[in-house]
Amino acid sequence: MALLELSDLRAHFFTREGVVHAVDGVSLAVEAGSTLGLVGESGCGKSVTALSIMRLLPTPPARIVSGGISFDGRDLTKLSERELEDVRGREIGMVFQDPMTALNPTLTIGTQIVEVLQRHLGLDRRRARRRAGELLAEVGIPRAHERLDDYPHRFSGGMRQRVGIAMAIACEPRLVIADEPTTALDVTVQAQVLDLLDDLRRERQMAMLLITHNMGVVAESADDVAVMYAGQIVEQAPAPDLFSRPEHPYTEALLSALPDLDDHEARQSRLTAIPGRPPDLIDPPVACRFAARCPFAERGDCCVLEPPALRELRPGHWVRSAHPTSERHLSHA
Amino acid sequence: MSATQIAGRMAGVDAGAPIRQSSLWQDAWRRYVRNRGAVAAGGIFLLIVAWCIVAPLVSTHDPNHVDFANAYQGPSWSHPFGTDQFGRDLFTRAALGGRISIGIGFGATLAILGIGVVYGALSGFVGGKLDNGLMRFLDALYGLPYLPFAILALAIVGTVDFWTMVVALSIASWFITARVVRGQIITLKENDYVRAAKAVGVRWYAILGRHLLPNTLGVLVITIFLELPGVILGEAFLSFLGLGINPPDASWGSMAQDGRDAYRAHPHIIIIPSLAIATLVLCANFIADGLRDALDPRTKET
Repeated sequence: MALLELSDLRAHFFTREGVVHAVDGVSLAVEAGSTLGLVGESGCGKSVTALSIMRLLPTPPARIVSGGISFDGRDLTKLSERELEDVRGREIGMVFQDPMTALNPTLTIGTQIVEVLQRHLGLDRRRARRRAGELLAEVGIPRAHERLDDYPHRFSGGMRQRVGIAMAIACEPRLVIADEPTTALDVTVQAQVLDLLDDLRRERQMAMLLITHNMGVVAESADDVAVMYAGQIVEQAPAPDLFSRPEHPYTEALLSALPDLDDHEARQSRLTAIPGRPPDLIDPPVACRFAARCPFAERGDCCVLEPPALRELRPGHWVRSAHPTSERHLSHA
Repeated sequence: MSATQIAGRMAGVDAGAPIRQSSLWQDAWRRYVRNRGAVAAGGIFLLIVAWCIVAPLVSTHDPNHVDFANAYQGPSWSHPFGTDQFGRDLFTRAALGGRISIGIGFGATLAILGIGVVYGALSGFVGGKLDNGLMRFLDALYGLPYLPFAILALAIVGTVDFWTMVVALSIASWFITARVVRGQIITLKENDYVRAAKAVGVRWYAILGRHLLPNTLGVLVITIFLELPGVILGEAFLSFLGLGINPPDASWGSMAQDGRDAYRAHPHIIIIPSLAIATLVLCANFIADGLRDALDPRTKET
């Protein structure tokens, strides 16, 4: 059984304009000790999925409407706030997108890490402080023990993200959720932070849910990839399989939208884009959500009338489409 | 600066070394002392407080000693502020009155702050229905004009001493503070670092106590000096109406009232306490302004 399993998770925002179906039937699994990359464009519900798992959705307006979040055999949707406080940070750590705002500017770095260690591991102040110094050193902060007394504004963005990672892994959780951990960083620092996350994860045999909109990031560190579109998972597969044989038209389009720097002809031409826009999540299409942008969905097609189910095309490769690549060739032949 | 020093500093920057250790409060202090008006106001404020504390201790005059032979005397060497209609030394009495006025001022301000912080923080932090309920209740109370309310409260109590005065002045004036604190907490609550703190399992009371309330401290310090003048004036006003602290104790307000009867012939009796009140209130306003400039992060420079 997987460490984390989302089954048909639905998290909606109840706003004045209507109900936003931000996460609308997400099922995915993260195996213990492995990395699942969750990719999708802005606004497709990646972060809401992450916050749902942590049970940190702003309620109201957001609420988990249905579905289950099974973590290590426990359903997180059924835990009380008090029990959740013990899970957060202890069993599931989270790395936030913007390191410039995720640390309290009025508390020293040391205070904030010590707070976590004391809270969950019951260390006394001195030992917690020593451990905090070790953690900072582990995430690659020079002169770590001296820097415990510094305030966050003395750290650069990359350094702060390292501190954020140190806090997320401080109690050796079994799962780390990294919500676009490199998006707010300089390109030069991104790779370093990714490598750091990956190394720490391997050393501690933690599982990771890596949320990103960057295919390159996923290719580099994910074992499995789930592609999200308009609040739903449209494809999930082992990373090599997904990149070499994408099945969903959306995944295909995403991959072909990646600029190819080696191909000289491609460098001369314009970047490929996916025509159309993602659907409105207040009133999503009843059938396939990608149908309006899908080059293979034709008028009167079954997928325009009723939603395709997420099905296992081959072992480990799930897809939610009536026109996956491998079937397309068969039907056209 | 020599080349090695520059190189040293740059190396230090690269390693993220501390160049200058300074906390928020040290920064604020540096900015405050640059504001001459605020520094002068702070100095005068402290001087008045010191005078109120020290003068009665060293004075050779008994502040309550009635001496009709020396009534209505103007300022002189033995009575720097003159004497009142009972021949009591005004220098000593003004200092004692200051103790009561300033004491009531700070007492009521702290009470306002205490109630306001608890009410506002609770409302803002819990949010939802509780917030709605508490705020609507506050709206209802908002209609209460505070002075008539204080007068009513004092009339009900009857005998007025220090603490009844503190209660009367704070009971209907904490609404704004509660609103301000609630607003602060709601704004702060939306910060990523609060969510991040929740994500590592920090309990709600630690979030409120360690991550939210300390960040409102700047606003609270400003509020102290913003509320203080109002409270001191309120106390003076009530005392002037004869609703103040019971004689023979006196505050600046009741001393001014004593001087009202003979204000044409002997104006110093009413002028001295009035001047004291005006100076103190003015200073408090200047201090509040200076603090706001010093603690406002928007004026922050590197």
